[in-house]
This record gives sequence, structure tokens and C-alpha cells, in this order.
Amino acid sequence: MNRSQRILIVHCFVGSLSLLCGLNVFAQAATPAPRRIVSLAPSVTETIFALGFGNRLVGVTTYCDYPAEALKLPKIGGFMSPSLEAIVAKRPDLVIGVSSATDPVKAREMERLGLKVTLISLASLSDILNSIKGIAELLGSPDAGEKLVYKITEQFDEVKKRVAPAPRRSTLLAVGLQPLVAVGGKNFIDELITLAGGENIAGNAAQPWLNLPDEYVVAKAPQVIIEAGMGSERERSAKHWDDLKSIPAVKERRVYAYPSDKILRPGPRVGEGLEEIARLVHPECFAESKRGPNKGSGCEGSRP
Amino acid sequence: MKVLDRRRMILVNGVLLALLAFSVVGCALLGPVRLDLSQALQNIFSANPDAEILFRARLPRVLLGVAIGGGMAACGVVLQALLGNPLACPQMLGVSGGASLGGILGLILFPHWLLPIAGGLLGEISWVPLAAFLGALLSMMLVYRFSLFHGRLHPYHLLLSGVIFNSFIAAVIMFLNSIVDFYQAQGLLFWLMGSLSTRAYLTVAFIWAYIIVGFLWLWAKGLSLNLITLGEEAAMQLGVETVALQRQIFVASSLMIGAMVSVSGMIGFVGLMIPHVVRLIVGSDHRLLLPASFLAGGIFLCWADTLARVMLAPAELPVGIITAFFGGPFFLFLLYREGRRKLAL
Amino acid sequence: MKPAIHTRDLSFGYKDRAVLHAVSLSVEKGEMVGILGPNGSGKTTLLRVLSAVLSAQGEIKLNGRNIATYGRRELSKLFAVVAQESHVNFPYTVAEIVLMGRASYHSPFALEGKKDIEVARASMELTDCLFLSDRYLHELSGGEKQRVMIARALAQEPEILLLDEPSAFLDLKHQVQVFELLRRLNRERVLTIVGALHDLNLAALFFSRLVMLREGKIYRDGSPREVLTEKTIDEVYGIRVRVEPDPSGEKPQLFVCPSL
Repeated sequence: MNRSQRILIVHCFVGSLSLLCGLNVFAQAATPAPRRIVSLAPSVTETIFALGFGNRLVGVTTYCDYPAEALKLPKIGGFMSPSLEAIVAKRPDLVIGVSSATDPVKAREMERLGLKVTLISLASLSDILNSIKGIAELLGSPDAGEKLVYKITEQFDEVKKRVAPAPRRSTLLAVGLQPLVAVGGKNFIDELITLAGGENIAGNAAQPWLNLPDEYVVAKAPQVIIEAGMGSERERSAKHWDDLKSIPAVKERRVYAYPSDKILRPGPRVGEGLEEIARLVHPECFAESKRGPNKGSGCEGSRP
Repeated sequence: MKVLDRRRMILVNGVLLALLAFSVVGCALLGPVRLDLSQALQNIFSANPDAEILFRARLPRVLLGVAIGGGMAACGVVLQALLGNPLACPQMLGVSGGASLGGILGLILFPHWLLPIAGGLLGEISWVPLAAFLGALLSMMLVYRFSLFHGRLHPYHLLLSGVIFNSFIAAVIMFLNSIVDFYQAQGLLFWLMGSLSTRAYLTVAFIWAYIIVGFLWLWAKGLSLNLITLGEEAAMQLGVETVALQRQIFVASSLMIGAMVSVSGMIGFVGLMIPHVVRLIVGSDHRLLLPASFLAGGIFLCWADTLARVMLAPAELPVGIITAFFGGPFFLFLLYREGRRKLAL
Repeated sequence: MKPAIHTRDLSFGYKDRAVLHAVSLSVEKGEMVGILGPNGSGKTTLLRVLSAVLSAQGEIKLNGRNIATYGRRELSKLFAVVAQESHVNFPYTVAEIVLMGRASYHSPFALEGKKDIEVARASMELTDCLFLSDRYLHELSGGEKQRVMIARALAQEPEILLLDEPSAFLDLKHQVQVFELLRRLNRERVLTIVGALHDLNLAALFFSRLVMLREGKIYRDGSPREVLTEKTIDEVYGIRVRVEPDPSGEKPQLFVCPSL
């Protein structure tokens, strides 16, 4: 499993684990826009770049790897363990962290040292979109935020339209197989699954991530199994479920290994992530129909 | 004058064996999802979800739980005798720490994540349990070496070495915990808190064979174990080759513990608590204590795993949390009721 | 007739100090020997060497055979040891403890047989602890525990009995009881008895031969009258006593003369 996969799994875990909305200390209207920003999370980094303010970043975590320019930025530490000294040394105007991941003690320390710290919440899709707008406001460019959110929402709508005719498919999205770690409820990925025309078999769980016993998977009989962030080939991943042939996903060979981080990052690429998931849940809705790409999705009447 | 006789042996073990059989069936029938038993039994070999739940998802882990529970309990009994300390437990030898560390390192350093043991071992070797077992062997040799004193494996030194070794391992594991990412952290939790999740009958059979052999060997030493609890010198004077016995018990139990931890992670409390509880009921004669503890340990872990599956459904708790959570207070309750007079603490 | 115990030039020590030095001792079958000496003189060590717990330099022969040629099981049928104290951390009943003395007489894979139970019962009767047989060892008083330990030793049906300060934690009544029992066993069963003793007066009354150790060497070896002289006590123990015969006139008794 390569580094980028590790990074995003860290990140998606953290982002989705926030229990309550963090301190959403947004816009201080009168102050000038910050010009030196430290990001404490990969999705924050991506958001800032996507808003066009990548040049204002003076410090990012070692896990921030998208876009490629982020790799060249100075590092201020790991994801769960940013270095206070490194952050302070950059003399930032603004430090943006994630409320579920950033140590509140460290955040208070930074504030006591005179730094302005904002913690955003990335627990749900609306949180993610709001945080993009919030960051844009903090950077003094609310319009950029609106535009980006609009773009993402459009991506959502496009996917929703495509999969609308198809019946819902029960889905299991796993990020670990031994032990089996699945996406649960109260998790933005769960929302993505729903938007993609799927139904998360563990969506009613209280935890955003949970260990699932095998019997539960058999009982819930998912029609699609996505093994996200795993580096294995499709063949190998199917082997894990081989002996549970009663599972529809196994029977109909709809077990997909998806070695990408897009699905799991609660950042501006979430719209693309949705499309990736939708392509796996409803591949038939994305096939080019004989009538041409724009003439209907071709997935009316597709089997469940 | 009450004496351990055949009748008592058969009675106690028979009752426990019956309870064990009941537990295996019961735990296989219980779980977070409803099972249609008639459906499950009708078409066992077709793609029948009920059959798969019963025979592929539940039964292997129930059977594994029995083996591991029994093995841990037996090792607990034996180690308490070896170390002359009623508070000894399998974790103290340092072997389980070494196995965990080996497994964790195997997990981290082999980024193509753990090839599942499911579906049989043919064609797919699971790196992580092997790495864990290797860790167990290495730590066993280290602790052994550090406990040798004038060519003898002195219980005091063994205890000390084991505890120090464990502390060191714990520190290393904590360090690794701070630098790994989420996915690996989940794997780490498996090692620290244990899990009986498995579908591989081959693994279960292998562990069963391994543990049964180990257990039988230890049971055969039952009389010597009695004698060695009287003290090293007393045991020597009663005819026990203590030096050889200590070495043999150390190696045998280390190998057993190493194998168990390699497969299911660290499941604590079973090895500490079950021997005590059983001792309160059947006495300290190891010829009965060992088999009784073995069976009781299997029963206990079986049910603990069922609870782990059911308590926070659909999520599955690590079984080590259950054993700790229920094991501790239950033991305190038993202690209170039976009175301290029976325990020479 | 080969002596029961025969040692020659027995030496034992740790890196920095010698505990026993050139101890040559011979005990005939049926003798009752008391080993005397102040703390640190090597009494306990001598017993541990004789019982093969420690290995020393020099020669030890039991019944004419070098001790090293015996297996431990064999040795446990030859002699039994009653230690000064016993620390048993696990709850055993008295019956279980005494039966453990029979360990070398039945297969390790079998439970105790009728004979074993009989011998254990008889031993407990002899030491007057049969009524305690189902009680737990740790509930007993020091004296009762000691009797149980003797019972266990007897259950081993040994030819030689080694005792390390058997009366150390007993009250006077039980001290006398233990010694009287030992004397009886010595006479009725021709049991060879070697005991490390600290009470010189009782030793004089009950033991026909005394061996006085001083700093790991044998200082004097002989009858109580020969060994327990004022001069010897002064030289070995460093205190002044007066030695007078006991009421029967045969055995010496010591009277301590405190300086104040």
C-alpha cells in the first residue's frame, strides 16, 4: 500500500470522525485577508489550492500530496502530530486544522502564542461544502468559494441524474479487510454512496467506521463491494470473498478493488470521488449507449 | 480424607465438556444477524446465506475461540505454577508482546496489506502471522537468555525479564502507533486487543492440533506441576528434575502462546482469571486443574466472542475488550463470595 | 556395612566466600545425628548439599553409592527433607500435601493408589495431623504446618530423614513432641536422622551424636558430653555457659551465664 493511499485513509478517517461540529470560527470581517497560511490537513491544502490561493500556503503536513505543488511546500509535521515549533516558525496569519484530528490542546497553545487558528469540521458532505465556503471567506474571496461549491454541486447533480433511473444497489465499502473495516453511518462517504445510487449496508451504524463481522455482510447481501484504497488487483481482492458465494456481489463478480484516494478525501475533489463510486456501483449508467453519450444514460431497466 | 480420584476427574471434566459442547452450538447459533437454522441445514453446500453465516462466518471463529481460550487458560495454569505466583499470566513471559510486535511490524512493513487467511493456505502464505510467530520465538529466546542464572531458569528472574521485556515492547508499539496511519492503526488494534475473526478452517484445524498437542503434553506433567508449586527445593527433594522441567514448561508454553497470539492477537485476562476461578471450584491439583481450566477457558472465550459480535451490532468489538471488561469484575465477585480463605494470597 | 551417608572433603562456597570447607562426615544407618553451630556456620548448606539441592566439591556417598549416580526420583525414596519453613503460594489441603510425598511411588500419569493413601494416612496419624487432613495448609498454625511437613516426609518412606531446624517455630510442647516422635521413629523404624538444630539443650537430650560446625568446618564430632563443653561453646558461640548434667545424670545441659 503506497504512501498516497495511506495518507488519504488517515485523512478520511480523521475528517469523518469528528463527533460534534468543531469550533467554526469563521470570518473576522474587519481583518485583512491572511497571506501566510498553514494547513494541518491534506483536504484543507487541496481546498486552498482549488480556491486559487495555493501561493499563500507556507506550511503543510507531510501527507499533503495533492496537487503536485503541495509536495514542494515546506512541511510542518505529520497529520496527527504537527510540530508546534515548525508552525510558529512559519509566522502564519492563519492556521487551519480539522476539528476531529487537530489536538485541541495544541490549538489552544497556538492561540496563546498569538496565532489565529481555525478548526473546520468535515464530518458530513454539507460540512465539507460549508468548510470550502468558510475557508474562502477567511481568505477574503467568498466568490471563489461559491464557485467551487457550485462546481462540486454540479458534479453531484450530474451523477445523481445518471444513476436516477437505476434501482438502488446495496453496497459495502471497506477500507480494510483483515480486520474488516467498513464505512458506517454519519460518514460523508456514506452520503456519497447514497448519492451514487447505492445503499450502505452499514449505514445505520452509529459509528463512522466499524469492524464488521463476516456474518453481517452475508446477511446484508450487498450487491456491490468496493475495497477502497487497497493496492491489490481485482483478482486477489475477490479471493477474500470467494467462499461466501451467497453474497450477490460475489456471485455477480461486482467486487472492486479501488486503489485511489479520491473516494476517501473530504476535500474539493469529493465530486470526482462521487463519480468514481457511482461508476463502481452503477457501471451500466456510465457505459456509452448506442444512442450516443448524451442521449440518456442507458441504465433504465438495469437489473438490481 | 478427600482425595482426587477417578470419579471426580471424570465428573468435573465431563460436566465441563458437556458445557463446552453446548457453548459451541449456542454461540454458533447466536449473533447479530438472525439465522434461519432449517434453511442453513438444508442446503449446506449451495450458495445459501444462512448456511454461510453458520458454517463459514460463525463456526470457524467459535471453534478458534475454544482453542485459544483453552490454550490461554492452560498456559495460565502452567505459568502460575512455573513462576510460583498466582498472579502470573501468559502475557508476563514477554512472548505475547514479542508476537504482537512481530505481527505489527509485519503489518507495517508489508504494504500489500494482509493477505487474508481465508480460503485455505494453499497458494497464499499469510505474512503477518508468520512474522508474529517469529517475533514470539525471538522474544522467547531473549527472555530465556536473560533469565538464565547459573544455568537455571530461576522463576524470579523469569518473571522480571518477562515484565521488563513487555514494558519495552509496549513502548515500541506505542511509538509505532504514533507514526502509523489509520488503516495500520486498525491493524495495530487487532494485535493489542485480539480478534477471533476467521473463516479459514485450515487455520483453525492447525491451531487446534497445535494446542491439543501442547495441552496434552502439559497435562502429562500435572504431578510435577503440583510438586513445583511447593517450591523449587521441595520439588527437587520430592523427585522432580526442576531445572529440566522449568525449561520444558517455558518452551512449551511460549510456543503455544506465540502461536495463539500470531493468529488472534493478544487476548488477555483469560490466562489470568480462568485458572483462579477453576481453582476455587476444583482445587489446586494440576491433574484436574489443567483439563478443567482448558475446558473452562474455551467456554469463556466462546461466549466472550459472541458478546463481542452482539454488543454493539453491527459493529464488532475486539474480543480482548470483552474479556477484560467482564473478566475482572466477575473475578472480584467470585473472590468476595468464596472468601479469601481459599486463596493463599 | 556401608554408611548411610558418607562425605569426604566436602566443600561448597560462592564466589566470594566459602561456606563449607573440607567436611568429612560419616553417618551409619540408624544413627540420630544433630548438626549444631551458630548462624552462618553452614548447617543449612550442609543439609542442602546432602539432599542434592546444591552440588559441592568433594565426595558424597549414600549407601555406598556416589550421590551423582542417583536419579532424583530414586533419591526422593531414599531420603526426605523437612525444611525450616514452607512457602506454598497455592491452596492445597493437608491431605494433598502429604500425598505429594508419594509422588515417586506411582506413575506420574496415574492418580494415587490405595497403598499411597494408606501410607499417607498412617504418616498423618503418626504426626497427629490426620484430623487436619481436609483443612487448607495456609490456615494452620506454624506447629501444625510443621507436623504436616513431617508427615509428608514420612510418606516418602525414606531411609534417611534430614531436618532443618524442625523446632524453629514451635512452642515448647510441640518442640518436645517433635523430638519424641523423631526418637520413636529412629528406634522403631531404624530411620537415620540428621537434623540441624539450634536448641543445644534439646539436642543434647534427644540426639546421641552431635556434630558442631564452626565457620564451615567440623569443630567437634561426638556424643553430647564430648561436644557440649564450656570451652567448645565459648569458642564456637562466643558465650559463656555452665554445663551441668540433666536430672537423669547422663546428658549435659547448658546454663547461660549472662554478664549482667
